[in-house]
Amino acid sequence: MSVNEMARMKFYCDDDRCIDCNGCSVACAEAHELPTGITRRKVITLNEGIEGKEVSTSVACMHCTDAPCEQVCPVDCFYIREDGIVLHDKKTCIGCGYCLYACPFGAPQFPRDGAFGTKGAMDKCTMCAGGPEETNSIEERELYGQNRIAEGKVPMCAAMCSTKALLVGDAQEVSKIYRARIAAKGKGVQSAPYGWSKAYGA
Amino acid sequence: MANTWGYGAMTNSLGDIQNAKAIIIFGANPAVNHPVGFSHFLKAKERNNAQLIVVDPRYTKTAAKADIFAQIRPGTDIPFMYGMLHIIFKNGWEDKKFINDRVYGIEDVRKEAKKWTPQKVADVTGVSVEKLMQITRVYAKSTPGTLIWAMGLTQHTIGSSNTRMAPILQLCLGNMGVEGGGCNILRGHDNVQGATDMCCLSHTLPGYYGLSEGSWKYFAKSWGVDFKWLQGRFKSPKMMSTKGFTLAKWYSGVLAGRPGEDKIHNAGTNLKALFVMGNGITSIAQQAKVKEALDNLELIVLADPFVNEAAILTDKKDDVFILPAATQFETSGSVTATNRSAQWRYQVVEPLYESKPDQEIMFELAKKLGFYDELTKGMLIRENKKSFKWPEDATDEIARIIKTIGLTGWTSKRIKKHTDNWHMFDEVSLRGFGPMKGEYYGLPWPCWTETHSGSPILYNIHRPVKEGGMGFRNRFGLVHDGVDLLAGKNSAPVGSKVKGGYPEITAKNIEKVLGIKLTADEKRRIGKNWKVDTSGIIAQKCMEAGIAPYGNAKARAKVWTFPDQIPMHREPLHSPRPDLVKKYPTYKDKPNHYRVDTKFMSKQSEKDWSKEFPINLVTGRLVNMNGAGMENRASKYLAALSPEMFCDIHPGLAANYGIRNGDMMWIYSPEGTKIKVKARYSYSVSEDRVFLPFHFAGHFQGEDLSGRYPEGTKPYAVGESANTVTNYGYDIITQIPETKGGLCRIEKA
Repeated sequence: MSVNEMARMKFYCDDDRCIDCNGCSVACAEAHELPTGITRRKVITLNEGIEGKEVSTSVACMHCTDAPCEQVCPVDCFYIREDGIVLHDKKTCIGCGYCLYACPFGAPQFPRDGAFGTKGAMDKCTMCAGGPEETNSIEERELYGQNRIAEGKVPMCAAMCSTKALLVGDAQEVSKIYRARIAAKGKGVQSAPYGWSKAYGA
Repeated sequence: MANTWGYGAMTNSLGDIQNAKAIIIFGANPAVNHPVGFSHFLKAKERNNAQLIVVDPRYTKTAAKADIFAQIRPGTDIPFMYGMLHIIFKNGWEDKKFINDRVYGIEDVRKEAKKWTPQKVADVTGVSVEKLMQITRVYAKSTPGTLIWAMGLTQHTIGSSNTRMAPILQLCLGNMGVEGGGCNILRGHDNVQGATDMCCLSHTLPGYYGLSEGSWKYFAKSWGVDFKWLQGRFKSPKMMSTKGFTLAKWYSGVLAGRPGEDKIHNAGTNLKALFVMGNGITSIAQQAKVKEALDNLELIVLADPFVNEAAILTDKKDDVFILPAATQFETSGSVTATNRSAQWRYQVVEPLYESKPDQEIMFELAKKLGFYDELTKGMLIRENKKSFKWPEDATDEIARIIKTIGLTGWTSKRIKKHTDNWHMFDEVSLRGFGPMKGEYYGLPWPCWTETHSGSPILYNIHRPVKEGGMGFRNRFGLVHDGVDLLAGKNSAPVGSKVKGGYPEITAKNIEKVLGIKLTADEKRRIGKNWKVDTSGIIAQKCMEAGIAPYGNAKARAKVWTFPDQIPMHREPLHSPRPDLVKKYPTYKDKPNHYRVDTKFMSKQSEKDWSKEFPINLVTGRLVNMNGAGMENRASKYLAALSPEMFCDIHPGLAANYGIRNGDMMWIYSPEGTKIKVKARYSYSVSEDRVFLPFHFAGHFQGEDLSGRYPEGTKPYAVGESANTVTNYGYDIITQIPETKGGLCRIEKA
C-alpha cells in the first residue's frame, strides 16, 4: 500500500472455511456485553444437513461503500469514517427501522422489550470502533461496546474465528490473504465471496 | 492402539494433518468438537489438495466440508474397514514392504477381509458399493493418508476392536510413522491426554505401569514410602492389584444386590461414598441408574467451579456437599495436548472467594485422613528439599518417575521455556527455530532425556531416535506362534547402531544389544529395565547408540489375549437388524469386568429389541458446549445458541409419528426410561435414526428438577439428559458405554 493511500476496512468471510461454530457471534456478544436478543453478528447456514449443499457464512454489518442505511436514514444519524467504517449516533436515532429495510444483510438490530413492539435506538456492528462519543470513554462503551480499533486491536469476531474464515482489516490485506488461499488451492476460479459485491461494488 | 503398537495416543499432531494427501474420519466431528484444530484439516484441503472423507451416521458440520461422505449405520465401522481392505488387497494397493518388515499377523486380517465383499459391506453398513469403492480408491491412492477418530469409534461394545481395526488399515497402507499419516485420535477436552497419562483411571498406576506388585514397589520406592504401608491401606494384598470400578459402571457398585442389578466383586461391600472432582457425571450413560446410585450413597462430595448437576439429579437431601473448586485460570501447572505435547498454564488470577484449586482440596483431605506427608513426599526427593513448591515440584516428580512414556525430559523448566517461546515453533512440523532449534513444541512424549527433542511423530524410522525417531514398541514378547516379533532388516530408525529389530532394553541385555561395556559404577546404578531406570543410564546409552529404549518390534494385527484376536464385527447389544444379530452376535457375558458382572449376550438375546424400539439413537456434542454442559449452560451467550434440549429428527420420520418441527416428543429406551424433548427437523440424520446432544441436565424423565438449584446457580439452559435414554452396553475390554449405537422408540408428547 502506498503511503498516501488510506486504509479501507472491509469484512470478508471465507465460506470454504466457516464451520458454523458461532465463535464470532459469541465473542462479539461477550465483548460488547450485548443484551440477549441483539445479535450484531450471526452465522447463517443454508441447506443444513443436505449432502453437498450445506454452506455457512458469518454475517454482520458489512460497512458498505455507499451504505444504503445512511442514505435512507430520515434523521441522518449515520456517519462514515475515512477508513470506511459505518457508524451511527444512537442519541440521534429515532428507531424508525428504515435502515433495516434498506440493509441487504439484515444488520440493524433493535431492542425488543418495548410495549407494542416499539423500537429503541438501533444497534449494529461497529467493527469494534465505538461511536461518536469520546474514544474509549465509559459512555461510548455503554452505548456501543468496546472500541478496539482505537486500541490498535483486531475486531473481536475475527480475532476469535476458530478457522480464520472471518477476516477483517484493510481491504488490500484481506484481498491478499484471500488470493493466497485461492492460489494455494491451485484450481477453480476466484469468485467474490457472498455479499462482497453487494457491499463494496464490483 | 496400545495393544497394536505400544502406545494408545495420537501418533502425529494436528499441525501434521496439513501434510496429508487424504484424511479419513470415522466417528469424529472436529468441526464441532475441535473447531480450532479443524483449521488444520481445512488448510490441508486448501494447501495440499487433501481429500477429506467423512464416515459418520450423521451429516455433520465436518461432513459439510468433506469431499466424500458416507452415512454409515452406527456400530458397523469394522465391516466398512474390512470392505476397504477387501478392495485394497484385491488390487494389491497395500504396502507390502511395510507389512513384511513392520507388521505381525496380517494374514488373518487378509482372510477375514476376503469375506467382506463390497455387496456384503453395503448390506451391513448401509453404504453403497460405489461409495465404498470410491472412498477406498481415493484413500489408498492418496498417500500419505491420516485416519482420524474420536468417541464415535470407541463408544461401542466393540470399541476396543474398532480402535484396533483403524490402525490395521493404516498399517496395511504403510501410513504409519510418516508425516501426513498416522492414527490421530482427537482428545475431547483440555488435558484429557494428561489425565490419561497420569492414569486417572482404575486399572493402572500413573504412566500406564499397571497394578502389579512390581509396579507398586517401583512407585513406593519413587514416592519414598514403605511398600508394606501402602499395601496396608488396601483391604487385602489382592485388592491392591485388582482393577477398580469405572466411571461407566460405578453405579453397580452401589446398587448391586438389588433385583435385576449386575453382581459385583468388591471385597464384600458396596460403594458408600462418592467424591467427584470436575466430572460431569450427569453425562454418563444409564442416567436413571446413576440417579438411583446417587440416592443410595451415604456421602456425596462434588468439587466443581459450577454446581455439579449430580446434586440436582439426586433426591438425597443430606450429606451432599458442594465444594467450590477453582477454575484453570486460578491455578497453574502443565497440561498435555492431544498430540502428547506439554504446555505450561500460568495462573491468571488468585482463586476467587472461597474456591480452592483441586490440589488444595486433595491436600486438605489427605491431612484429615492422615497421609498428607506420604502424599507429598515424592515432590521433595529430587532435590532433597524440606518443603515443596506447587506445581513445579509435582511436574518434576512426574519427570523423575514416569519412564514408560518417556516423560524424563518434561521438567517444569523446559515446559515453561516452550510455552514462553511458542512463537519460535513451526505450526506444521512443530520444529523450533532460533534459540529453540533442535526441539519440537511441547516436547511430545516420549521425550527420553532432559536434552531430548521430543517425538512429534510416533514410530517414525526416518529420523534418528534423538530427534524423535523410533520403531514400534517391543511390548508383546519376542516370538509368537514361532514368528519373530522384532522388526525386520533395515527398519531401524536412521542412525541406529542396530540395523533391524531389537528387544526392549534391560540392564541384562544393554551391553549385548548396544555393543557397549558398562563401567562398574554404571552397573551398580542402572535400573532393572528402561521402565524403572531412574539413573538415566539406559536412556543415555540408547540415545548415543540411536536406539529407542523400548525396542524396535513389529506392530501386531493380532492380539492373542483378546476375545477376538483380530477385530471381528459384532452387532450392538441393541441392533435394528435382528438378522445380523444372528450372524454377528455379541460376546458372552463377562464376569468381574472392572468388578462388575457385565451383560453382553444375555442382554442382546433377551428379545428382538428392534420390534419395540425400531429407531437408532445417536448422541453427540454441540459446538457451544462440552461434557455435561455445566459451565457452558451457565454462560448467557453460549446457552442462547441452544437454549433447549432437542432431538434432531428427519422430517420424513417425524411425519410418520405426527411430530411437527418444534413439537415436544417422548423418547423411550429399552431400559424402561424416557425423556421429553423438542423435535428439531434436520436432514443431517437419515429416516432410521435420531440424534441427541448430551449436554443437558436439570430435567429427568419429564420432570423439571431445576427448582433444586441453590439460589442463583440455575444455569440459563436446562433440559433432559440424553443419557437417561442411552442403552445398556459396555465395551468388552475398556467398559466404555455404548452411547453411539442404541435403539429407541419415539412418540408425540
